[in-house]
Amino acid sequence: MAQAEGIRMNIFVDVLSGGVSGGTSIMYAALGETVSERAGVINLGTEGCMLMGAFSGFAVTSMTGSPWLGMLAAAAAGGVLALIHAILVVSRKSNQFASGLSLLFLALGITALYGSGYVGQQINGFDIISIPVLSSIPVIGPVLFEQNILTYISYFVAPALWFVIFRTRIGLMLRTAGESSEVLTVNGYSIAKVRYLAVVTGGVFAGFGGAYLSVAYSQSWFENMIVGRGFIAVALVVFAAWDPLKVIGGAYLFGSALALSPVLQARGYEINQFALDMLPFVLTLVLLVFLGRRAVDSTPAELRKVFDNARA
Amino acid sequence: MTTVAAPGELTAATEDGPSQLSQKAEQLARVSGRWVGAIVIALAVFSVLIMTKGANPITVFSDAWTNTVQSPFAMQQALVKAGPMILAALAMVVPARAGLVNVGGEGQLLIGAVAAAGVAQVADGRLVGPVLIVLMALGGLVAGALWSGLAALLRVSAKVNEAVGTLLLNFIALDLLLFLIYQPWKDPNGTGQPASPPLQLDARLPMFLGSSVNIGIVIAVLAAILTWALLRFTRWGFKLAVAGGNPEAARRAGMPVSSLLMSSMLLGGAFAGLGGMLYYAGTEFQLRPGMLATIGYTAFLASWLVRHRPLAVVVSAVVLSILIVSGDSLQIDSHLPAATINILTGLLLIAVLGWTQMPWRKPKGSA
Repeated sequence: MAQAEGIRMNIFVDVLSGGVSGGTSIMYAALGETVSERAGVINLGTEGCMLMGAFSGFAVTSMTGSPWLGMLAAAAAGGVLALIHAILVVSRKSNQFASGLSLLFLALGITALYGSGYVGQQINGFDIISIPVLSSIPVIGPVLFEQNILTYISYFVAPALWFVIFRTRIGLMLRTAGESSEVLTVNGYSIAKVRYLAVVTGGVFAGFGGAYLSVAYSQSWFENMIVGRGFIAVALVVFAAWDPLKVIGGAYLFGSALALSPVLQARGYEINQFALDMLPFVLTLVLLVFLGRRAVDSTPAELRKVFDNARA
Repeated sequence: MTTVAAPGELTAATEDGPSQLSQKAEQLARVSGRWVGAIVIALAVFSVLIMTKGANPITVFSDAWTNTVQSPFAMQQALVKAGPMILAALAMVVPARAGLVNVGGEGQLLIGAVAAAGVAQVADGRLVGPVLIVLMALGGLVAGALWSGLAALLRVSAKVNEAVGTLLLNFIALDLLLFLIYQPWKDPNGTGQPASPPLQLDARLPMFLGSSVNIGIVIAVLAAILTWALLRFTRWGFKLAVAGGNPEAARRAGMPVSSLLMSSMLLGGAFAGLGGMLYYAGTEFQLRPGMLATIGYTAFLASWLVRHRPLAVVVSAVVLSILIVSGDSLQIDSHLPAATINILTGLLLIAVLGWTQMPWRKPKGSA
């Protein structure tokens, strides 16, 4: 009896720990998308930016041996792809959904073309670092303090981003671009500049999040390895009500849903993996229905125009 | 913001006075110039990218031309893919008229194929072919409509953006298919890759004599014509365009905007579901992982490429199908991954979205 209790406890810890390590990738992408959407631009190409990041990060780490250079390259690659989105959407007034999806195709192709030689390669990525003392706390220790360095960084990035968005001048400009862009114009700022910056920042974060997967989490590269995490990130931002702090919880929730299947399989449970693979997507939809309603009130006004497909 | 061309199409038809003709011609020349420019730039960027991998673009293009466009087999393959792609593109075309974005063509195709396979599974060889085909088609239609209808319902009742909703449902449909073929519907006689049992021979779609092209493409073209007629000549089509153009005005005019949105998504999803059934019963004959190879997403781009005009979608879907098939040539002749062709697809759409405009559309300065 006590033994069964112990095993259940272990599964719980494993799922949560897997949730934090797997969710961090989604968190970075969702934080970036928060910035972009706060300025009134939704980027379905987040999936593509993650893919570009995952590939570039892996390739540069493999070439230089430095995972940090890999992360830098990943951020740049994500940013460049997002820049195309910004040009199309901000300057050319193209439809945001169509533009985002064409970026995904571009990224799928580019990473397939350049990535074919890297499939199956090994790299020295970011390994798990146990934080002394803290990691020996029951439950919390293994979940939060036996992670890789990129996860530790994310603990600071999310609150820092919250501070920037809600407590600084640049954050105010960002939110104004998404709420009532004409106010920016009246005060002599360029809406386009703010949006460009926001969309590219979003891509940089997404690229980082993608590389988290290839350089730290799985330390491998294969075609189309993001498999929907970018789309989950976009949806997550909506029900996190464009708040970086709520993004943390959402990302870990999805990470945990993703971790459930490998954890149960590792313990020899006879389950069909694909039934569990549905879970994060179903969960996203359910949460959108229940939290989405509340989130609707906090939708940045410019973004609401995009969602309602309003013809300006 | 890019808009649907519906109201503009009407004015283009009526505004053609003699005095405007030369102006129109000039405009048309400018627009077609932009299209040519967009395509050339996309091809040029693509060439540079494959050159960096040591491929000679001229060889690649000429190989792709001889082994795809000039190859009867490859062109048949393209037509086989074009059928479901046209139907999945119509799944974007119809909602677009109401101002909605359906990114769920892939999932709606998949669920249509799953439903068709489910019908065949239940029938278990006890029905004659033609009856089974009709039942499978019905299954596909209903399943596709339910799948898109769910996203529409979430949009109308819970304000979940339909683009996000349909996207998520794509992944759920894919996992559902995988779940089924890895366990409950797994072919006990199958070897290697898991798949559902093959469809009984007499329930497979008839093919054109001496070719591998099934009647799916004909059904798809008929569906495109039906869509065109519905949108152009019926009151429903007109109301859709009004609701899509200005929902607030439509609401004030007493139009049931929510049910209009719903109906557009239901019809669109039904088309895609039928497309999935056709692909299953005409080409694949069993469910297997990766069976669609992103036809549904490409269909979304096919619709955008021609700004959601139902007849033009036939052309864009055929062109993109040829492009997909030419990916095989890339792999075989030039040893580039087949997915490389996605670069060209993406670039084409980026160029067309950003730098071409329809002649009848006003400059988009105000958007």
